[in-house]
Amino acid sequence: MQDKVRDVLAAHGRMAVDIREVDDQADLYKLGLTSHAAVDVMLALEEAFDIEFPEEVLKKSSFASVHNITQLVEGLVKAAA
Amino acid sequence: MMSAAAAADPQSVLRISLPDEVDGRRVRVGCDVFAIEDVRDSLAKFGDRYLRKVFTASEINDCRGRNQVHSLAARFAAKEAVIKAFAEPDTPFPLREIEVVRDGPLPLLRLSGTIAERARLQGWLSSSLSLSHAECHAMAVVVVVCGPAESE
Repeated sequence: MQDKVRDVLAAHGRMAVDIREVDDQADLYKLGLTSHAAVDVMLALEEAFDIEFPEEVLKKSSFASVHNITQLVEGLVKAAA
Repeated sequence: MMSAAAAADPQSVLRISLPDEVDGRRVRVGCDVFAIEDVRDSLAKFGDRYLRKVFTASEINDCRGRNQVHSLAARFAAKEAVIKAFAEPDTPFPLREIEVVRDGPLPLLRLSGTIAERARLQGWLSSSLSLSHAECHAMAVVVVVCGPAESE
């Protein structure tokens, strides 16, 4: 799942780094992720995993690292199953 | 002009601590600047899903026309400016609960749901919003006057 999350981040995160080489705990905002790019990442994750992000998870820390995003997506995929 | 001796003595430098409130009123400020191209890209990639996730029906309607992308970008900047004014970075901020509405030529802020509740808890009394854009960027500044905060 984390590879798929990284693919989405590479396509929509608008960060000037190779996200596949980034530590899963690294701060994505420090690497250039913006709040608007995080919206694009969320929309792309919804498509990729056939999930919907509830509004209560729309906070900065949800998208702060590959680890956080993966955990969040895993939870939403399980909830949707 | 300060003498050389006074300039060298750190104890002589004027220091003041400004109060964070005056007569029980505090001011909060938020601002954001935002690339127009990012909205254009998101619209191209996600279309209506992007619009409906970020903007209210009223905002989408207000932005119809020749400057749609610039108007949407300014509204996104306004939402981010409001989030910054709250200064609670890890609180959920549903973007559609922060809405820019028009009152004649002036943009106004309308909050709803959980955001309106957070504003009440912080003692938000009134706000002033300013939007602007050039060909490449949009920006927003929000100033909020607050009374005493309520405890949760």
